[in-house]
Order: sequence, then structure tokens, then C-alpha cells
Amino acid sequence: MRTSRLLTGCGKAVAVFALLVWSLLPIAFIVMSSLKPGREIFAVPPSYVFTPTFEHYVSLWRRWPLFFDGLLNSTVVTMGATVLAVIASTCAGYVYSRNSTRFLNASVLFLIVVRLIPPIVVTLPLFPIVNAIGLNDTHLVLMVLYATFFVSLGTVLMKTFIDQIPRELDEAAQIDGAGRLTVLRRVIVPLATPGILAVSVFVVVFAWNEFLFAFIFTATRAKTAPLVISEMIGSIDGVDWGILFAASTVQLAPVLLFVVLMNRYLVAGLTAGATKG
Amino acid sequence: MPLIAPVHVLILSVIVIPSIFVIWLSVTKSSFGQAPTWVGLENYLRVLSDPAFRSALWNTILIVVFAVHIELALGLGVALLFASGLPFRRFLMVAVLAPYAVSEVVAVVMWRFLFDPDAGPVTLALQAVGLPILDWSFEPTHAMLLIALLTIWLHLPFTFIILYAARLAIPADLYEAARIDGASAFQAFRRVTLPLLGPAIVVALLFRYIFAFRIFSEVWLLTGGGPARSTEVVAVYLYQEAFSYNAFGTAAATAWIMVVASLVLAAGYVFLLRRQVVSNAH
Repeated sequence: MRTSRLLTGCGKAVAVFALLVWSLLPIAFIVMSSLKPGREIFAVPPSYVFTPTFEHYVSLWRRWPLFFDGLLNSTVVTMGATVLAVIASTCAGYVYSRNSTRFLNASVLFLIVVRLIPPIVVTLPLFPIVNAIGLNDTHLVLMVLYATFFVSLGTVLMKTFIDQIPRELDEAAQIDGAGRLTVLRRVIVPLATPGILAVSVFVVVFAWNEFLFAFIFTATRAKTAPLVISEMIGSIDGVDWGILFAASTVQLAPVLLFVVLMNRYLVAGLTAGATKG
Repeated sequence: MPLIAPVHVLILSVIVIPSIFVIWLSVTKSSFGQAPTWVGLENYLRVLSDPAFRSALWNTILIVVFAVHIELALGLGVALLFASGLPFRRFLMVAVLAPYAVSEVVAVVMWRFLFDPDAGPVTLALQAVGLPILDWSFEPTHAMLLIALLTIWLHLPFTFIILYAARLAIPADLYEAARIDGASAFQAFRRVTLPLLGPAIVVALLFRYIFAFRIFSEVWLLTGGGPARSTEVVAVYLYQEAFSYNAFGTAAATAWIMVVASLVLAAGYVFLLRRQVVSNAH
């Protein structure tokens, strides 16, 4: 009995170790290599002890000012898309939670179906239209695209979270003379904060990391950080791995920290999103 | 009612109306600056008989079938490992979730480096123990393998969370009862865990089928579809048609083939979800 327990214990330890290697080693390699002196990046065998240097970050700053413009663009687009998606989803989620008509129920199904249209499909007609109205290469077009592709999930999530707020609270506020908007602002929003945070995690991670739309709809002014990094990979003959690692680390660090801090809401959102729609 | 307007205005104007317009594009012939002319189903026939499309479809199906199922098996394994009780659960959970935060671009940088055919750490490790290496920049099959690995790495957190949440929802009494009835650990897994995880497994699978079917960035950034279009997937084929060859008609036909494939999967999903709601009600 004792040996078998010991065996399971060992098996589990091995499994956990393998899991950690699988999940974290690729990330650790990037961050570590960004701090290695150039010639040690491809040292055989890989060096684990080295004097960290910021030389690659310095070269990144000097040679790729474009990357920092990209970070700024990513920040603006991410914030815009998140605010837009959260406001739209909260309003709609509130309506869907408190009302139930045949039309509304049908339109929930519509929200689910819409999520299944591949984003690349809409680029075909939108590309010429966006060009024609002069929105190509602007922050606005990316914000709208990113927000739109998350409002359906966002609405369903907000509905699930708002469903948990007792209706009596709305009614009490309404008796005190509050209108729907006031109820939404004063009663629902404060109590639905976990839902709002869950929606935000999704949109922030998506908008900060997205590649396809940024690739198609931006050229120079609104180019986001992932796109600039892809150009660094693209200059394949002269890939400067050190700079590439530094840029990847800078792009990854904030969103990784965000996911770590918000992991509770991410888990809640993923679970609710998958089971409820 | 006006409160649902923003969501629906966004969805209609950005997703629904453009998608319907793609149907019109798919039955006409056009390119930049030309008036479209009606060609009926010619674009669809042309796409379906194009060897490049067939190879792209085949590659996509390979990714959907292999990557998604391996990912499911891994996700299930990790979920059960967590459910069996682990120390530092909170920390381990965050570690498993970490790849969720990684962009496709940075993931490609990581895996390109790890599997660099000349000096990547994984390549060196494989060579050291005498295993074959992935020569992904020349060998299409190896490139597809690397793409599959990359996709699994990026999406395992999603699959894991869905299955873990469902596993936590199984009441402990059931396992207690199974144990009292003399069931072995494997029997408990077979007779309690698997049937009760069924709906969650279906949900995770369908989501991942649909998302794996539209895979673009990983492939585009790793191989660009090359060498010689051998690693293209459907979304990359679509992109090439539209933006490299200016053939909007065939690109649109490809797009609708993608939509229809996704909707068929979605119909299955809605059907199963309905059935689940009904069975919950009983």
C-alpha cells in the first residue's frame, strides 16, 4: 500500500515537472536569451549561467524605433477595443438577462452562430470599403474589428453574470424612481464587475496579440507590435535573434502579467463562455 | 431595447452584411478596379478543382484531426492530474494558463528558435539522444508537425480549463460510491469520469475544431505556406488568392466554403447544446 502510494506520488511529480517544462520552458527560453550576450544565445550546450546584459534591448531601442511606435499603437487599439466591447456587451447582456421574448431568444442563437464565422472571411469585402472611406491604417478600424469579434461572447458572458444579480435589486431601485440606465450604472455595473473583468481579459489578450487584421488593415501609421515583430522574423537572412527576443519579451511581459493577475476571471470567463454559449 | 443596439449594429455591419456580400463576390469575377461580372458557380468549381486548394484543405484537416485530438487527450490528462489533488495548485494553474497570454507571433519566435535546424536547443537535445530532428524549413511534413505542436501549445489552456471545470463539477459522492462498490481507479474513470465529462468534451472539441479550421497566423508566420505552397492551409490559400493574386472571386468562394464548414460544425454544437439543456431539465 505504501509503495504504491509512493509510486503514484513519483508519477505525479514527474507529470507536474513535464507540465511545467512544456508550459514555461519556451517562455523562459525567450526571456533568458534576450538577456544573454549575443554569442551565447546559440551556445552548445545552452548556457544557464551567464552575466545578464541589456545590450539587445539597447539595440532594439536604437534600431527599431518602429517597434515602440507599434507598442503605442497596440496600447491605444487594445484600450479602445476593450472599452467599446465592454460597454456594448454590458448593455446588451443586461437586456438579455432581464427580458425574455421570442425575438430576444432567437437573437441569442444568432450571436452564437455569428461567432463561428472565420474572421478572414470579412476581410474580403471590408478591405476595399475601409480603403474607400479612408479608414485604412487607422486605430479606429482595428478597435471596431476587435471589439466586434468579441461582443457576441461578451454579451453572453455578461448575461450569465448579470443573471446572478437578484432582480429585486433592480426593482427596488426602479421603485425609488431610477430609470433603466441608472439601474444599469448604479446597480448592475458595480455588482457585475467580475463579468466585466472576464470580458476585458478576453478582449485585452486578443487585441494585444492579434495578427491577421493588423496585417491586412494597417500599413505604417497604425501598425501594432506583433506586426513589427513579424517583420523582424521576416528579414530572415539577417535575423538578429537577440533583438527579436528582446522585442518578444517586451511584447509578452505586460499581457502575461495581466493574465497571471486576472487568472481567476479568465477561468470564470472561459468556463461560462463554453458552457453557456 | 436600444441597449442591445450597439452589439447588433457592430455585428451586422462588420460581420453579417460583409459575409453576405462575400456570397455575391463568390459568384462574380472581379479584381481591383474592375466591374464584377456574373459567373455563377465557376469560382467554386475552380477552387474545388485547384490542387493547391485540395492540398490546403488536406493540411487543414490534418491539423484539425491530429492537433485537436492530441490536445484533448493532453487537456484531459492535465485536468485529471489537477483533480487528483496537487500541492501549489494555484501556482501550477497559472503556469498552465501562461501560454494563453502568448501571441501567435511570439509563439512562432519561440518554437522557431527551439527547433532551429542548426542550433535550436530542442534540435540539439534530440541529436544528443540520437533522435531524428525536425527539418521543418525543407520538409513539409516536419513543418506541419511543428505547426501542430505550436497550436497545441497555444490552445491547451483553453481545453484544460473547460475539462477541469467540468471535472470539478462531478460530485465526490459518485467516486465514493464507486469505491465502496469495489471499482478500481480505471473503472471509476471509465464509468464515472468519462460519461459525466462527455458534454464538456464535446464542447471543447467543437470549439477547437472550428478554431483550428481557420488557423492562419501560425502557418503564415512559420512557413508562409511554403516550400512551394506545400504547407498552406485553407485560410492561407484564401489570403493568397485575394491579396497576392487579386482573385477576389475564388477567394470569396473559398471563404464561403470555410463558412459552410464552420456552420455545419456549429449546427452540431447547437444541436448538442439543446439536447444538453433538455437533459438538464429532466
